[in-house]
Amino acid sequence: MTDQDKLSGKSFYEATARERARGLVDEGTFTELCGPADRMSSPHLPVLGEAIEFDDGVVTGVGLVGKHPVFVISQEGRFIGGAVGEVHGAKMVGTFGLARQMYERILEEHPDELAERLPAVVISFETGGVRLHEANAGLLAHAEVMDQIQETKGKFPVIAMIGSKVGCFGGMGFVAAATDVVVMSELGRLGLTGPEVIEQEMGKAEFDSADRALVYRTTGGKHKYIMRDCNYLVEDSIASFKEALADVLSKPYDEIVKNRRIGSEELVDEQLDLVELSCEIQPKDARDVWAYFGNEDPAGIPEQTTEEFLRAAKRR
Amino acid sequence: MTNQPTAVWDSLKRDAEERRAAARPYVQEGKVVAADDTVALLEAVIRPGDKLNIEGDNQKQADFLAECLCKVDPAKVHDLHMVQSVLSMGTHLDVFDKGIAKKLDFSFSGPQAGRLAEYVREGKIEIGAIHTYLELYGRYFMDLTPRVALTVAVSADKNGNLFTGFNTEDTPVIVEATKFKQGIVVAQVNEIVDEVPRVDIPGDWVDFVVQAPKPFYVEPLFTRDPALITDSQVLRAMMVIKGIYGEYGIQRLNHGIGFDTAAIELLLPTYGEELGLKGKICSYFSLNPHPTLIPAIESGWVKSVHSFGGEVGMEDYVAARPDVFFVGPDGTMRSNRAFSQTAGHYALDLFIGGTLQIDKYGNSSTATATRVAGFGGAPNMGCDAKGRRHATPGWLKCGEEYGIQSELVGDLPRGKRLVVQLQETFREKLAPGFVEELDAVKLAKNANLDLPPVMIYSDDLTHIVTEEGIAYLHKCTTMAERMAAIRAVAGFTSVGMQEDPAETAGLRERGIFKTPADLGIDVARANRSMLAAKNVKDLVKWSNGLYNPPARFRNW
Repeated sequence: MTDQDKLSGKSFYEATARERARGLVDEGTFTELCGPADRMSSPHLPVLGEAIEFDDGVVTGVGLVGKHPVFVISQEGRFIGGAVGEVHGAKMVGTFGLARQMYERILEEHPDELAERLPAVVISFETGGVRLHEANAGLLAHAEVMDQIQETKGKFPVIAMIGSKVGCFGGMGFVAAATDVVVMSELGRLGLTGPEVIEQEMGKAEFDSADRALVYRTTGGKHKYIMRDCNYLVEDSIASFKEALADVLSKPYDEIVKNRRIGSEELVDEQLDLVELSCEIQPKDARDVWAYFGNEDPAGIPEQTTEEFLRAAKRR
Repeated sequence: MTNQPTAVWDSLKRDAEERRAAARPYVQEGKVVAADDTVALLEAVIRPGDKLNIEGDNQKQADFLAECLCKVDPAKVHDLHMVQSVLSMGTHLDVFDKGIAKKLDFSFSGPQAGRLAEYVREGKIEIGAIHTYLELYGRYFMDLTPRVALTVAVSADKNGNLFTGFNTEDTPVIVEATKFKQGIVVAQVNEIVDEVPRVDIPGDWVDFVVQAPKPFYVEPLFTRDPALITDSQVLRAMMVIKGIYGEYGIQRLNHGIGFDTAAIELLLPTYGEELGLKGKICSYFSLNPHPTLIPAIESGWVKSVHSFGGEVGMEDYVAARPDVFFVGPDGTMRSNRAFSQTAGHYALDLFIGGTLQIDKYGNSSTATATRVAGFGGAPNMGCDAKGRRHATPGWLKCGEEYGIQSELVGDLPRGKRLVVQLQETFREKLAPGFVEELDAVKLAKNANLDLPPVMIYSDDLTHIVTEEGIAYLHKCTTMAERMAAIRAVAGFTSVGMQEDPAETAGLRERGIFKTPADLGIDVARANRSMLAAKNVKDLVKWSNGLYNPPARFRNW
């Protein structure tokens, strides 16, 4: 059994950031950039007496999927919940810079093969957003990453992979929304304000963060798929995420960007219609919304396997 | 001597009759009292200075009756002496805050431990003693018999027959002690039915039943999500299976609450199977219905499980496995805690659990300096039952190895219970697992306790397992040697830093300390991929859909 075989069968949810980064690209092609040996760690945490990691909680690098150079950003939830600090953010931004340089180079050296050599940025999110220990730098990093995503528009795709323990929350929820494609597993969670923060601000009666079934109904992959906040719902294995990535990259760029959820006037109108709809139907639970969109047994949806769900789900 | 003509021998009975008469206006049909009249009922049947029991343990709670007790008029009801298993709800302490109760004898206070310590310091509570469950039950029949018991059941009929069902727990022992000493029994139930599915408590032992506005609270205390088990816990579990269960052929045991023992349960069908131990270890358990035991049960490892209580979501699974669990003629499990604790004290070959602190001598405690928590049932199982007179191979082997056996009983053979503590050298926030002195000593001073609350004493502890290896403490012949063995497993804690490598080498030679390598365990294999179930959904699959986890454990 090769290393990659072991990785691809592995649960995406359970995998470390480094395993996900290596497993998302073709076997043996991943090169980590600014890895732990380079010791780019947070300058702020030691001042506060907190432990550091030599990769500041994010794995960055490049590999291949077919002929596509894929620039990977993979966040590690085991380090301060994947929170984004200054160095973590800088590594993300730097990765986008490299992707753009690669795009320019391919445009110049292989203008005829641009489609099959088109680069991509893949972000494997596992984060609650800003790292509060270095909040200003973390917020700036979010803004810079957003800026970088805008720079890719019309050039090459940015793909979000969400299926790790911490999920994707806080400012990074916005960043994920701004990507071209969102791939999730049913274990993935995506949102802005995290469940605990909602409970803290609005009370347990409004949102009980200990009720994990509720949390998953509201932020989990199946709900996001029905709402079309997520484009691809896949099984919880590194191989399934990799397969979805290869599938996306096999399509022409113009086709890929049709997966965007925001970014045009029509899409903004669509989102505003949804706000209006939610005022109209006043859902008390995600199940009400699922029923509204024609799912006959909303209570049974959490129990379905991903395969059963994909076969039967009615999306908005 | 002649009988004094004025002697009265049934004053308790007469007093109870008076109290029942005072409550008569609130009784509807049979023994039923309306929820709205409950406070008035309690004011009628409780007298100042009574010993009062509110039923509640680490699982089910007579929560409605506890709320009602807080609403009685302290001018009518005061100075109560609470005798109860657990203080786990805010209301259990509110009665002291309001001046309704004064004294307390109990065994466990988990979530309220901080507030309890505060009240003791402020003089709002006078603590009698912190007991083990079995010890407190014993005192219910000796000098702490409740005058009034506020109990809880699933359902009742109008005549007071109670169905306690899956979560029977403490009810039989409380009701028997109270009623047979002429006391008053009030039960809150989820519903009043024409006929109960099974009579767990006969109606003539119950005076009043109240249908509570909502079902009683039950804590799913024994559910551990396999997704949160760490690689380090997998390593310790592998060491336990090979170096202790396999080594001693442990067939009859209890697992405490915690991720360490959950890891062991989930390794039986994988690592245990690989070592060829199926049928040779882990056949009989005194154990709550842990969801993490499902894969081992389904793989045919487990012959019998008797439970202290129920576990939320395990009802259907347990009912469908009557060969394994103790299921009544009505098809529902009955969990009688007193019997399970008795089995746990006398019939176990091994107890294993986690703790917060172990001192340099091997005494351990979960107490901290500012929390009065207690230990529930752990000390009854985490000790050598001195009254035991039957032999099993594991128990005999441990006795044979016992370093001071001949100092105690000469040349007679005698066995010894294996008492194992699983410990991480450093826990969350770098709190050391090994300390020079237990926080329990400080707590005893802070809270005016006669004894520092020790969960397991050094003379009962036989094995410590940490990521460094296993210390076989019972093999030691002196306290100095025992302390050296503890230093060997204590890692980089202040206790472990005093380790003398030459001394540890000597202990390794004599088999008193074994590293994972000494046990033939490849540390590189110790990771989560060894677990038979990696998350709660896997447990549901193992159970063929019979396990129905509560919402807080559903990440789907």
